[in-house]
Amino acid sequence: MTSFFKARRNILGMNARNLRFIRPNNLRRARLLADDKLLSKKFLEKAELPVPNLLAKISDFEELENFNWDSLPESWVLKPNRGFGGEGILIVYGKKKNVGNTWIKADGSLVTAEDLKTHIRNIIDGSFSLAGVPDVAFFEERLKILKLFKPYAYKGVPDIRIIVYNKVPVIAMLRLPTRESDGKANLQQGAIGVGIDMATGVTTTAVFGKGKMIEYIPGTRLLLSGIKIPHWKDILLMAVRAQEVSRLGFLGADIAIDRDKGTVFLELNARPGLSIQIANMDGLLGRLRRVEDLKIKTAEKGVSVGMNLFGGEIEEEIEDISGKKIIGTVEKVKLIGKDGKEIEVEAKIDTGAYSTSIDANLAASLGFGETLEKFSQIDFSTSEVTPEKELETKKKILEGYKDEIPDLTDVAVIFSASGSSIRPVVNLEFILDEKKILSKTNIVERSDLKYPMIIGRRDLKKFLIEVK
Amino acid sequence: MGNVNSSVTLALANGVPLDTLVLMLILPIIVTMIAFFRQVVGIKAFGIYTPAIITFALLATNQIKYGITIFVTVIIVGTITRYLLKKARLLYLPRVAIMITVVGFSILLLLFVGGTWNRTGLASVSIFPILIMITLVEKFIAVQIEKGNRAAVILSFETLFISVIGYYIASWPQLIKIILHYPWISLLTIPINIFLGKWTGLRLSEYFRFRQIIKPR
Repeated sequence: MTSFFKARRNILGMNARNLRFIRPNNLRRARLLADDKLLSKKFLEKAELPVPNLLAKISDFEELENFNWDSLPESWVLKPNRGFGGEGILIVYGKKKNVGNTWIKADGSLVTAEDLKTHIRNIIDGSFSLAGVPDVAFFEERLKILKLFKPYAYKGVPDIRIIVYNKVPVIAMLRLPTRESDGKANLQQGAIGVGIDMATGVTTTAVFGKGKMIEYIPGTRLLLSGIKIPHWKDILLMAVRAQEVSRLGFLGADIAIDRDKGTVFLELNARPGLSIQIANMDGLLGRLRRVEDLKIKTAEKGVSVGMNLFGGEIEEEIEDISGKKIIGTVEKVKLIGKDGKEIEVEAKIDTGAYSTSIDANLAASLGFGETLEKFSQIDFSTSEVTPEKELETKKKILEGYKDEIPDLTDVAVIFSASGSSIRPVVNLEFILDEKKILSKTNIVERSDLKYPMIIGRRDLKKFLIEVK
Repeated sequence: MGNVNSSVTLALANGVPLDTLVLMLILPIIVTMIAFFRQVVGIKAFGIYTPAIITFALLATNQIKYGITIFVTVIIVGTITRYLLKKARLLYLPRVAIMITVVGFSILLLLFVGGTWNRTGLASVSIFPILIMITLVEKFIAVQIEKGNRAAVILSFETLFISVIGYYIASWPQLIKIILHYPWISLLTIPINIFLGKWTGLRLSEYFRFRQIIKPR
C-alpha cells in the first residue's frame, strides 16, 4: 500500500502540469513562439541548432496564385504554421516523371498542384490552426529515416521527445509512427512511445497509443527495449540549448535524426503530453521535484545532472549489488596487440568454453605471426592426444619449444566434438565493457566461423551474462 | 411560495419571471459542477459553455428523452456528413454551413416521424433547444479536426453525460426550494471554484490512465 501512495505522489497529472509547471514557467511570449513553427525555426537557427530547411512559404491567396511549383524539389513536407497534433501535414516522397507538377505520397497516391492549391487554401483559411485563425503554409525538406530505425517505424520518421525543466533533461521517449497513427509520431493518434534511460540513451519500456504496454512492435518479433539512440548526449544538449533560447521553462523538445544531416531539431512544445510517464513507467513529478531547486549554470552541466539522476538505474542496481558488470552474449572487445596496436572485434561470450581463443589471422595482426608460424612447424605426429596423456604432452611441447618460439606461454590441448587439437597459448590483453583483462588466449583457425573470438569462463569472472 | 427570501419576493413583485430567477440562481451551481467534473473527475466535455447550454436545452424540452434523442441524432448525422464531405475538400465555414443544413433537415425529419408515430411530445419540442443542439455541430467539427473522430465522439458523450446530470440537479425540487429561500447560497460556488482552481491533485480519470505506474510492481 505504501508503494501505491509513493507511486501516486510521483505522477504528474494534468492539473499540476498546467498550474505548477506551464503557467509559471512558460510565459505568454514563449508560448506564442512555440506555437509559431516558422518563428521557432528562425529562433533555433540563430542559436545554431540544426533545423529542417525551409523551402518556401505561402501567406495569402495572391502568393498562392503566383507560386512557382517548379521551384519545389522532388520530395518535401507541407505544413500549416500553427497546426497542432500533426493535422494538415502533407508529405511527398517523389515527383511523378513526365507529368507536370504531380507528386507521390507514401501510400502511392498522387497529388497534383491543383490538389495542393485547395489544401493550402484551407491552411491559409485557418482550418488546421487553433481557434481557426488565418494561417501560413510552408514547405520544408523531408527528413530521411535512419537505417537503425527503419524496421521500427511505419512510413514516417521517428522522433525523440525530451522534457527539459530548469536546464535539466528529465525524461525522454522515442516516438515511433505506426499504421494506426498513419505515420505520425503522436501518441494520442496511436504511435508507440518507448521510454529511454537518460544515462545511456538505451530504450526501456514501451506504450502503444494511450496506455497499452508492449514489448514488441505489434505483429513482429522486433524487441522495443535495448535500442541505443545514436548521438544521445548531443540530443540532450540540443534540448537544453533550445530551452535556453526559447525561454520555455517547461519544454517538450522534439528532435529527429536525419540519415544525412544527423540530429535535427523539429519542434518546441509548450504543453508536452503526460503519456511519456507511461512509456518510461515512471512518474514525472518525482523527477521534476528533484531538479526544481538546483542552480544549473551551463547546458553541459544540466545534461550531466539529468544523465546522472535519471539513468542507468536498472543495470547499475544489479551491478552495485553483485559488483559485476552485465554483458550480453555478443560484445565488442578491444584487443591490445604486442606493439600497443588496438583492434576492435565482436566476440562471442561462451560459457561452454573454459578458455578464450582468437582466430589465427587476427593473432597475426596483433603481432603473434612469428609465434604461429614457428608453432605450426612443430611435428605433433609423435604426441598422443588423449585426455590421459594431456598433461604429459603439454609439458613435453612447452619445455621443448619455449625458448625457440617467442611469446609462447603455454600449450592448450583441446578435446572437442569436432576433433582434438593442440594450440599455442599467448598472453593477450583486452578490454571488455571498460574492464581490462589479461588472458591466456589460445590461437586457432576460426576464419570460417562468425566471430573471430570467443571468450571463455576463465576470463568472465567479473561479469554477469544476460541472455536476451 | 411560502418560504421565499425577501429579495426574491421583491424581484418577483417587480416583474422578474420566476423561471428566469431560478435558472439564474442555478446557473452557478451547474457551471461549478462542470468545473468539478473537469478538474477532479477528469470528464472533459466541450468546455464549459456547451454542457451548460445543453443542460438548459434539456430543461426546455418537455421530456429529457426527446432532448437526448435530438442530441444523439445531431452527433450521428454530423459524423456521417463530415465523412461524406471530406472528399469534397471545402473550406471550413461553407463546410460547417452545409453540415448545419443537413443536420437541420434530419431533425425536421425526426420531428415529422415522431409526429406520425404519435410521439407528439417530440414534435412539440420548442425551437430554441433544437437550434442550440443543431449548432452543437460546429463545436463537434472543431474537435474532430483538432483531436480526431474518436475523441470528438467521446467528448460528445461526456458532454451529454454532464448535461444530463446538470438537468437532474436543475430540476431537483428540494434544491429549487432551498435556493429560493437562501438565494445567496449560489455565491458559495465562488470559494468552491477557488479551491478547484488551485487543485493540483490527480484527477480520478488519471488514476485509471496511469494505473500501470501506480500499481505496485
